[in-house]
Amino acid sequence: MSGTPEQAIQVRELRKTYVVPEREGGLAAAARSLVRRRTREVPAVAGISFDVAPGEIVGFLGPNGAGKTTTLKVLSGLLHPTSGEVTALGHVPWQRETAFLRRMTLIMGQRNQLAWDIPVVDSFDLNRAIYQIPAAEYRERVKELVELLELEELLRKPVRNLSLGERMKCEVAGSLLHRPDVLFLDEPTIGLDVTMQRRIRNFIAHYTERTGATTLLTSHYMADVEALCRRVLVIHHGQLLYDGDLAGLVTRFSPHKTIVIDLEPSGPAVDGRIEALVGSPDWLVSHAEDRLTLRVPRSETAAVTTRLLANLQVADVIVEEPPIDEVIDLVFAAGPADAQAKDAR
Amino acid sequence: MLWLSFRLGALNAIQYRADFMVQLFQSLIGLGIALGGIAVVFSQTDQLGGWRQEELIALIGVFMLVGGLIAVVIRPSMEQLMEGVRLGTLDFTLTKPADAQVLVSVKRVEIWRLVEVVLGAALIVLAMVQLGERVSLERVAAFAVTMLAGVAIVYSFLLILSTLAFWLVRLENILVIFHSMYEAGRWPVGIYPPWLRATLTFVVPVAFAITVPVEALVGRLEPATLVGSLLLAVAFLIASRWFWRLGLRHYTGASA
Repeated sequence: MSGTPEQAIQVRELRKTYVVPEREGGLAAAARSLVRRRTREVPAVAGISFDVAPGEIVGFLGPNGAGKTTTLKVLSGLLHPTSGEVTALGHVPWQRETAFLRRMTLIMGQRNQLAWDIPVVDSFDLNRAIYQIPAAEYRERVKELVELLELEELLRKPVRNLSLGERMKCEVAGSLLHRPDVLFLDEPTIGLDVTMQRRIRNFIAHYTERTGATTLLTSHYMADVEALCRRVLVIHHGQLLYDGDLAGLVTRFSPHKTIVIDLEPSGPAVDGRIEALVGSPDWLVSHAEDRLTLRVPRSETAAVTTRLLANLQVADVIVEEPPIDEVIDLVFAAGPADAQAKDAR
Repeated sequence: MLWLSFRLGALNAIQYRADFMVQLFQSLIGLGIALGGIAVVFSQTDQLGGWRQEELIALIGVFMLVGGLIAVVIRPSMEQLMEGVRLGTLDFTLTKPADAQVLVSVKRVEIWRLVEVVLGAALIVLAMVQLGERVSLERVAAFAVTMLAGVAIVYSFLLILSTLAFWLVRLENILVIFHSMYEAGRWPVGIYPPWLRATLTFVVPVAFAITVPVEALVGRLEPATLVGSLLLAVAFLIASRWFWRLGLRHYTGASA
């Protein structure tokens, strides 16, 4: 593999195995472990490969412990992988070359990098010095970030006096002062209220659009991923289950669509005919008052809808994909073997 | 970088002005006890293991000066480093485009501890005045060189200890051990029994940071010791850097 310039990030067969100490509960076991520590190897990332093109925004989906954060940490140079090859912007991340570090940033929703006791603006100033941002540019960028994120009131407060949402806004601003070309965002909106989540999300969208930055994002909030990412990577137990667009994920993993039909209240009674019209009793989820809810195989959707429209007095029809969270659940339930069998990107 | 750290440390410290008074009080008491100890010894005798009173005052001065330097930046930064390894907050230091070793080494500054540095320096000047014409330019130069080497050795030693955190994760007490060994440096290592002298020279190299520079100042330093001190400093700096890099490879962060 060579760092072909048309990919911003290349990952080949990345593996990272942690060695963790392990012991039974209780004092006796604790004493034994003093003498001889038993360890166990935990594969956090078990051989994943993918490419990210410059300017792409890719969402990383997976349950807790799937290996998302570990992958991001390898990509940002914090961790040495157990095996595999990785390049980001043509650099090997864990060699931590200055040229690479200056062009990337890592934002973690659960950690803060701003110094706790001093005003935000002093932390920014520290970053200015570390990244050697020229004074004029620095002033301009701070001004812009302050306007976009409405930080004016916050800059002079010590970080410990900020609310979680305010702190996150400052974290994001501080991490983008050096105008990075690659963003690694690890649950940037965790714990924030819906409004603040949207603010952060919109800001990230704005930043990436303006700078063309390549972005890898993990989040447990599907709203983040739906709003920002055209492409998603689904990983589970350290393995890549899916790589493709969000819509494709739904088609692949959810073989059903939901049809909701509202009947005209004045229309004729339909009770006896319903099952025949639907096609299979299994597809009928509920029939209450004037509303029918069906769960129909994808391939049958059109036929069933046409049949119902032709034979019933219909007030309204909704055909929808299942909620994305539900699909994600299905993906994880399917497991790696199943997913790989289907794999044909 | 160090300057920035000092600036931030100052900003931090100024919020807690009472600390300054406490620190000043504490340092003065420490100074009083040290000088009192010397006074007691020299009321019985006029030399201790070949050392005279003004020489021992210089020794206390160096003890406070080097101890102050450690307390101002090295020790707090090393504590921060170990905490960073345990809690995973080191992550952000490692993503910065600057030498990570430099960043962690000046990460935290406790500015009020400069009091000790100032008092130590004052004592050294006082001792130099008492020593009078025995102090020559060469000796002052040798003193400066050996003290720099000594500080480099102590710094490297502490960095190596702290770097162990990458494997052992939790070992805050390790710096306390160093601290108590350092306390032994307030007397010339020559007065201790051989085993302790050897320990203070080669295991916990306090001797190079305190006794050796004072020997240089009062003109009893052998050239071999000067060269040895410099070579040891270089060796320690290289070894600690190598060990630090090895430690970084083992960094796993706290999983989140």
